[in-house]
Amino acid sequence: MKKIILFGALLGVATFALAEDAAVIDPPMEGSVTVQQGLDAWSRIHDVVSHPRCANCHTGPSDRPMWSGPSFGAPRQHGMNIRAGESRMGLEYLQCSSCHTTKDENWDNANAMPHAAPRVAMGWALAPMEAHWFGRTAEQICAQLRDPEQNGGRDMIELAEHLNHDLILHWAWAPGGGREPAPYSLQEHVDDLLDWGVAGMPCPQD
Amino acid sequence: MEVRVNGNTHEVDVSADMPLLWVLRDELGITGPKYGCGIAQCGACTVHVDGVAVRSCQLAVGDLAGGEVLTIEGLGTPDTLHAVQEAWIEHQVAQCGYCQSGQIMQAAALLDRTPAPSDDVIDAVMSGNLCRCGTYPRIRAAVKTAATKLQEV
Repeated sequence: MKKIILFGALLGVATFALAEDAAVIDPPMEGSVTVQQGLDAWSRIHDVVSHPRCANCHTGPSDRPMWSGPSFGAPRQHGMNIRAGESRMGLEYLQCSSCHTTKDENWDNANAMPHAAPRVAMGWALAPMEAHWFGRTAEQICAQLRDPEQNGGRDMIELAEHLNHDLILHWAWAPGGGREPAPYSLQEHVDDLLDWGVAGMPCPQD
Repeated sequence: MEVRVNGNTHEVDVSADMPLLWVLRDELGITGPKYGCGIAQCGACTVHVDGVAVRSCQLAVGDLAGGEVLTIEGLGTPDTLHAVQEAWIEHQVAQCGYCQSGQIMQAAALLDRTPAPSDDVIDAVMSGNLCRCGTYPRIRAAVKTAATKLQEV
């Protein structure tokens, strides 16, 4: 199938950054992925979305980002009483960008310092409320991701495009500062998503 | 490169990844913003960039992108204090004083956006500014007094 490379969809500063680390969106042929292979792909997708680099900012109805993962001990709310508000960017309280500053897209080692606030070449924010992953099961997240009413109205390709667009998400694989990166790679994650999609988006509870 | 601080334009010859705090203190001699932790954990270096409170230790000067920087030196003058500065004096907020520049800049940014903040909002916004002397009750009281002053203007 024709490869789709998403270089032209963004404007401004994000465009160059996207061109540097965007994944290739190359779905397998329809009918070429079995349900079991789709479930295997989902299992790897869940490894990613449940990883602290991703789940910590997918807190659903709570507007409090989480601190969890190998270097945090027991999961706990982001220090400093941080609240992202309905804006999900802290506009009603302290803006995420007050500490998670927006860096130049060409500055590769901006997150080298341990314990400093991570930064990317776009505004830092919590994920939308409906993208609630933290503390949820693989079955719940799977059901959310295949439901257009809960995934931002996206089909398989649009989900993959979303993965390419979001530079905060790209940070999960290169978090710096001694943080554990999300498993696999952005390209492998996109490939798994496309395999899962072509398999009919199967979930463990089906 | 050029940086705009407190209404003035400065030409500085520094690396683009130098933290703004370093530029302010070491290149321009503007020492109101304090170095506390260097990793956005304490808030002592808080300044405004285009009106938004920013930890200047976390913003590379090259990422200012023409933004207007305001430090406590530009917030008010000795003769015409900002309402937050007046309230800080009235409540005698400071103890050792090291964090107070950051506290005041954060409070001023809060009141720009939220003129009559609740205790909940004050606590949420000001919790990123640490005070080892524990002046938090006076900080909250001074923010409320400053809010009243600003609404009377």
